Amino acid sequence: MFEFYPEIRTVHIAAVLASVSLFALRGIGVFSGARWPMAAPVKLLSYTIDTVLLTAALMLMTIVQQYPFADAWLTVKVLLLIVYIVMGILAFRGPFSERTRIVIWAGALLVVGYIFFVARAHDPLGIFAQFVS
Amino acid sequence: MTSTKRLWILLGILLVVSFGILLWAGTQISQAAPPMPERVVAEDGSAIYTRSDIEKGRQVWQSIGGMQLGSIWGHGGYVAPDWSADWLHREAMAVLDAWSRRDFGTSYDKANAEQQAALQGRLRARMRTNTYDAATGTITLDADRAAAIAAVAAHYESLFGDDPATMDLRDAYAMKNGTVPDAANRQALSAFFWWTAWATVTQRPDSEITYTNNWPNEPLVGNAPPPSTFLWSAFSVTFLLAGIGLLGWHHAVTHGRTEETHRLPEFDPMRHIKATPSMLATAKYFWVLLALFVVQILLGAITAHYQVEGQFVYGYEMANVLPYSITRTWHTELAVLWIAVAWLGTGLYIAPAVSDYEPRFQRLGVNVLWVCLLIIVVGSFAGQWLAVMQKLGLDKNFWWGHQGWEYADMGRFWQWFLFIGLMLWLFLVGRALWPTLRGNSEMRSIVGLLFLSTVAIGLFFAAALMWGERTHISLVEYWRWWLVHLWVEGFFEVFATAVIAFLFTRLGLLPVKSATVAVLFATIVFMAGGVLGTLHHLYFAGSPVPVLALGASFSALEVVPLAYIGFEAYHHYQLSAATPWMRRYKWPVMFFVAVAFWNLVGAGLFGFLINPPLSLYYMQGLNLTPLHGHTALFGVYGMLGIGLVLFCLRGMKPELAWHEGILKTSFWCLNIGLAMMALLTLLPLGTAQLFASLAHGYAYARSAEFMQQPFVDLLIWLRVPGDTIFSIGALALVVFVAGLWLFPRREDEVRERGDGEAPAAAARHGR
Repeated sequence: MFEFYPEIRTVHIAAVLASVSLFALRGIGVFSGARWPMAAPVKLLSYTIDTVLLTAALMLMTIVQQYPFADAWLTVKVLLLIVYIVMGILAFRGPFSERTRIVIWAGALLVVGYIFFVARAHDPLGIFAQFVS
Repeated sequence: MTSTKRLWILLGILLVVSFGILLWAGTQISQAAPPMPERVVAEDGSAIYTRSDIEKGRQVWQSIGGMQLGSIWGHGGYVAPDWSADWLHREAMAVLDAWSRRDFGTSYDKANAEQQAALQGRLRARMRTNTYDAATGTITLDADRAAAIAAVAAHYESLFGDDPATMDLRDAYAMKNGTVPDAANRQALSAFFWWTAWATVTQRPDSEITYTNNWPNEPLVGNAPPPSTFLWSAFSVTFLLAGIGLLGWHHAVTHGRTEETHRLPEFDPMRHIKATPSMLATAKYFWVLLALFVVQILLGAITAHYQVEGQFVYGYEMANVLPYSITRTWHTELAVLWIAVAWLGTGLYIAPAVSDYEPRFQRLGVNVLWVCLLIIVVGSFAGQWLAVMQKLGLDKNFWWGHQGWEYADMGRFWQWFLFIGLMLWLFLVGRALWPTLRGNSEMRSIVGLLFLSTVAIGLFFAAALMWGERTHISLVEYWRWWLVHLWVEGFFEVFATAVIAFLFTRLGLLPVKSATVAVLFATIVFMAGGVLGTLHHLYFAGSPVPVLALGASFSALEVVPLAYIGFEAYHHYQLSAATPWMRRYKWPVMFFVAVAFWNLVGAGLFGFLINPPLSLYYMQGLNLTPLHGHTALFGVYGMLGIGLVLFCLRGMKPELAWHEGILKTSFWCLNIGLAMMALLTLLPLGTAQLFASLAHGYAYARSAEFMQQPFVDLLIWLRVPGDTIFSIGALALVVFVAGLWLFPRREDEVRERGDGEAPAAAARHGR
């Protein structure tokens, strides 16, 4: 599998960009009153992208032999991913006022932004690692 | 004589004749099975193996999971090689290499084509000749073969130990280090593998065909499909077409003839059935089966992942705790167990409802049976784990550990316990149904048929008790397929047809008389191919040609009713919208429609793909087998089990509104996930293996060299999307069922709130 590492990494990054962009756009759509963000084809597209993203992530893990709960940066990524998913669900379907849901949506984007920096730095502190060391 | 009575007589005659022939085939297999030698000696008289070595080796093989780790004669797991084919190839190469060095001064690989052809010609004559002396029970081998056997045995002894030299291969085969820690046991294991390989290459007396009908395809020793495989493959396709034509003609003639005016009920007739204490006690069966289903999926994911990381699961050295052999054992066993629990629970639920009669102590019986089932699952799994971890000892393995026969793996004690449990189930269902079976109501016949299929499911488990610890492997295979095939492709099909028709008659959607005739006719059609179709699993398991011919011909007929299953699916779909209140049953019926779909695709198409002898000659034990296995076992019986559970839950809690959205998610995720697993991984991987098997021989298609290629890795990874979607479907089902107990919503309350997610409630009230 090592032969495919660059391609799989590219697929993973592309899927991350597509997933987050779609989440951001759907949020803008939902909060401006549009119906398309919750339409079945859009939801299906989102599931498809996320499944590709997850598959590529699992493949990368076995190639580089680094795993959650063994390597700290991956542990943080997985935990924050769960936080991101829960916030995403609450932002679109939570029993809160629209204002609260907008805050949750923005918070979810911040969380995913932090995940990006953790991934780039391979460090649980992400962008803050340089200040600590 | 009524048409129902005529059909009952016809069914009786068919079953007597079919089982008579099946038993006769058993005697043929017994006579034609490859002999077990007392001694295997070299020409100089030195001992190579003894009968006790081979028998002990089989015990060792069974104790490490047997068919769950690699396969023998093509039956078993798919990650490690087929040990018979692998041994045969290695032994042939060892002899060729020795000869090439002696005759041409170079290794076989480097010899030119003419030299290789000459050596292969000599090898074929040498290895195919049968040197077994029946009078003394001795097989005599030349010195070159004896040396080759010693070399291959050394390889296996290294592989099944923890020798670093074979570490990579263990990783590729998903074997744990020290699979067989005891050196003497490893030696015996190699004796057993050798004997199974010997049977594949040795011609029967006075024949040019080997004991396994020339299986596997191995060009080095001249193993190629015998003429009978071509002949009976062509005939089997012809029989299939003839069967389809005949059934089509029958449908054209009888279609519309038995139509009777049938008034659909205005209200759900099952809504006001009062659940008795024993019916309510079956709820725990459904909780347990959901837990088993989720665990089964988890074990399937780990088993599949072992194909990528060998001994690890995402960095954790899982093989030390749960090796591949055990995760695959539990995965396959749980598949049968949770489906069986669904059916047991359904039988116990509907029996008192049918007769409107709650026998004394029925609830106690239901509870005792449930506890027994839990003990059987936990006890048999613990025994298997101890066996595979080699902590049990060979002497206890057969009764308490791992029998190693796929789908019949549990120790003999646990098999007896399960059989007694099934008898208890029959007793409980039978006593509750007794008033209806004895009475004169028009339901009697269809209830009788349903009960008959449950009796057959219970009694035919006894086939698993027919072999002993030392029964010849060809006869073990014969009885094992009595159990697996007659269950899956015989009585399960009858049960599926009968129970669905029965439920529709209870709902008043089908007239009882025509439903009874249809189910009886379907039973005859299923059993016409199903009983003797058992033999199609035994083409290459030491059976003679007549067995191959019977198996090919009758198993082709099994596909005939599946070709028309679209009628049934469409009919069921229509019934789901036949009355407004039927929307309460939309999702159980949708699962029944899925049963029909996967019966056509998984059982019919993917089953027939590997069914003709010529196809199976090349495909047996490739990934085209799990393609059929997953889509037919889960697609048909898993979906049926879920449909039945939903049906029972509807009756158990009639006043509750269902979260239809969660069920919809579950239904589509399970179906799409299964389709993705089949189409993205199993079908392309199996097809690639088939090409390799055709071009280079069977051993190569199963070898680490082939299975460790990057494109194979990629295909295995492509399981993740489908498996993820499938898992979401399973979890949604769990959430749905848990919600009925943890967050129940009454239909009338939902209606008052005007909640749009309760169409069943709206439908019932004409909105």
